[in-house]
Amino acid sequence: MGGAAISSHGLACAPPAAVPLKPRARRASAAGHRSSPQLLLRSDLPAPAALCRARSQSSSLSNVNFGRGDDADKLLEDLLKQHGEVVYSSGGSPSPAVEADDDAECLSFAVSLAKVASEIKAADIRVLCVKRLVYWTRFFIILTAFSNAQIDAISSKMRDIGEKQFSKVASGDTKPNSWTLLDFGDVVVHIFLPQQRAFYNLEEFYGNATPIELPFDTQWQ
Amino acid sequence: MIQPQTLLNVADNSGARKLMCIRVIGAAGNQRYARIGDVIVAVIKDAVPQMPLERSEVIRAVIVRTCKEFKCEDGIIIRYDDNAAVIIDQKGNPKGTRVFGAIAEELRELNFTKIVSLAPEVL
Repeated sequence: MGGAAISSHGLACAPPAAVPLKPRARRASAAGHRSSPQLLLRSDLPAPAALCRARSQSSSLSNVNFGRGDDADKLLEDLLKQHGEVVYSSGGSPSPAVEADDDAECLSFAVSLAKVASEIKAADIRVLCVKRLVYWTRFFIILTAFSNAQIDAISSKMRDIGEKQFSKVASGDTKPNSWTLLDFGDVVVHIFLPQQRAFYNLEEFYGNATPIELPFDTQWQ
Repeated sequence: MIQPQTLLNVADNSGARKLMCIRVIGAAGNQRYARIGDVIVAVIKDAVPQMPLERSEVIRAVIVRTCKEFKCEDGIIIRYDDNAAVIIDQKGNPKGTRVFGAIAEELRELNFTKIVSLAPEVL
């Protein structure tokens, strides 16, 4: 794995400024550990950043008042209290309310797509919020269809709604397939035949994702 | 830089262990070498017993990791420790149900989102 090159790159760009951490943070955290990227960012990044700060501060202080270690330590602590907070808060996860606002549009899009699927009698529709698990998308919609014609109907109607109402163009499969995937960017739709759904078992793989309650009955019989 | 006769590891649980590339297909521009996201025709050189895939079977696979550096659009350069591929069928569905190891995000832009969604970590 090319983890060394990536993580070193992430750390190298971390210390000078606290704010530009975010765009790089995704790749840096993804390269480090698979279990908890957010946690790694919080626990790992402040240490080198603080170290760098401490080094620069002590070098500048040693020129000014040489031999007064206590004052330097106090000043350093004050500085860390003032500016260190920025480093800590930049990588941290924002509050659920802010996240909910961010996701509101994607969520409404996902729910409307799920509604379309239920209108065409797709079974066992699940909407999963996978934002905390993977960085490349926000919502998964997993549903079962029973024939290629039904898959075709669902995917074409989803594409229509995405283009007309939300101006999002789907990439992915154009022909009906046993596992048809529609990629709208923030929302990824998986349409399975019953056998394939049991075979790939995506719900188990994304078991830690938060399921989202749908305002209609998804268990079509 | 995958070319015919290159040996690759298999990065999924389909049952094959080693592949040998016998043909590069779909490589844009440079037809000689395949890189991340290209589809190859390969023969299975080593397989786990009691699994559907067997030795000396000819299959299609998409390359997910290369030792040769891969330059992303945002300037990041990724290189991996091994050459690895994921076995797919003619329609692009993966033969295995899980993918192992890190995988580049560029596979998503090349319409291999199924493989990306089965991977444990995406770079």
